[in-house]
Amino acid sequence: MHHEHGPALDVGPPLAGACALLAVAVYLVAARRLRSRGDAWPWRRDACFAAGGAALFVAVAGPLPGGAFTVHMAQHLLAGMVAPLLLVLARPLTLALRVLRPGRPRRALLAAAHWRVSGWLLFPPVAAVLDMGGLWVLYRTPLLAAAHDRPVLNALVHVHVVAAGVLFTAAICQLDPVRRRWGLPLRGATLLAAGAAHAVLAKTLYALPPPGTAFAPGDLHVAAQLMYYGGDLVEVALAVVIAVQWYAAAGRRRRTPRTLMGASHIP
Amino acid sequence: MSGSSVPAGGRSEVRPGRSLGAAALIGVALMAAVDEIVFHQLLGWHHFYDRSTPAIGLLTDGLLHTAELLGLVIGFVWWADLRRGRALSAAHAWAGLFLGLGGFQLFDGLIDHKVLRVHQVRYDIPDLLPYDLAWNGAGLMLLAIGAVLAVRARRSVGRER
Repeated sequence: MHHEHGPALDVGPPLAGACALLAVAVYLVAARRLRSRGDAWPWRRDACFAAGGAALFVAVAGPLPGGAFTVHMAQHLLAGMVAPLLLVLARPLTLALRVLRPGRPRRALLAAAHWRVSGWLLFPPVAAVLDMGGLWVLYRTPLLAAAHDRPVLNALVHVHVVAAGVLFTAAICQLDPVRRRWGLPLRGATLLAAGAAHAVLAKTLYALPPPGTAFAPGDLHVAAQLMYYGGDLVEVALAVVIAVQWYAAAGRRRRTPRTLMGASHIP
Repeated sequence: MSGSSVPAGGRSEVRPGRSLGAAALIGVALMAAVDEIVFHQLLGWHHFYDRSTPAIGLLTDGLLHTAELLGLVIGFVWWADLRRGRALSAAHAWAGLFLGLGGFQLFDGLIDHKVLRVHQVRYDIPDLLPYDLAWNGAGLMLLAIGAVLAVRARRSVGRER
């Protein structure tokens, strides 16, 4: 996407793309170190993290087809939903805690994971409000128009999209060891509410552009349907993650005597 | 193996109600998917968004649409769990599938199209009535098939006992 801006903005996408690639490199090195000392770490997690990093890279640096708003929507779908899901499935926090030697960085990471504020942020409804609420504010207030010619604001919006996406996905999937894990009903209900909020917003965008913007109707229609059906795909994937957890837990309950049922299993 | 953890009853641990429920969820979600793929995308009869859609219709539609997606996943994993535990009654599952298919079709035709007015079956035609009749008639027929299958499934269980 080409903007009529000075060099200040052009630093953003390459920097973000480089960060994504760097994160993938760090993950792969860490996983390799874990394996070389004899620990098991499934390869599919490496693949997930690499794919997540690639999705982020394409979102910031890749050429995407379609009108301006369709491109924007494809970027958001990749950076805010697809990439977070893939990154979270790779359990980066688990990997970091296992690969770091006892010492200050590991203690700091553990403290952050068990921090009270992290616990609040990872409470599924809170994470959903931060993610979906952010989207509603972006598309239903003049924020999107304002961010168009303010590089710093634009960068902040994108950072929020990625961060809130990761937070929401982590809260729904709950794969990494954090302060507190929530039950399936709460996570399922949160997913339902968030999915509905996403679908409704996508439908309204079909008819009504974000305030202060002037996208062509055709562009708007394609973007709204991309948001709607793309959101569906990621939502189904999140539901599958939860469903697989339930299926595995039900299988364990069936195998283990009832007296051991209370024993928690940390993958 | 821990036989003691399995509820008493042994081999006859088939769950007809759950078999029907799981398959009905799959049926609802399958019909919703057919509706979305055939009538929205391939034929282009339905509108993605009808500008006359009231806000409550939009909100309900969003919730139902998401619930259908989750229903598909829940239905399949539930079905897989029943199969794994040999608790699946195939006859009840078939009945549930048709009840789900017909139930969604009729619900969509009556509630979504008429009460909530999310969108209509088709737009570029002078008379909508034949389309509405065909839509809801198809739903009723699927429901009737499901009902017949459910009755037969119940009878076959009765005979076994």
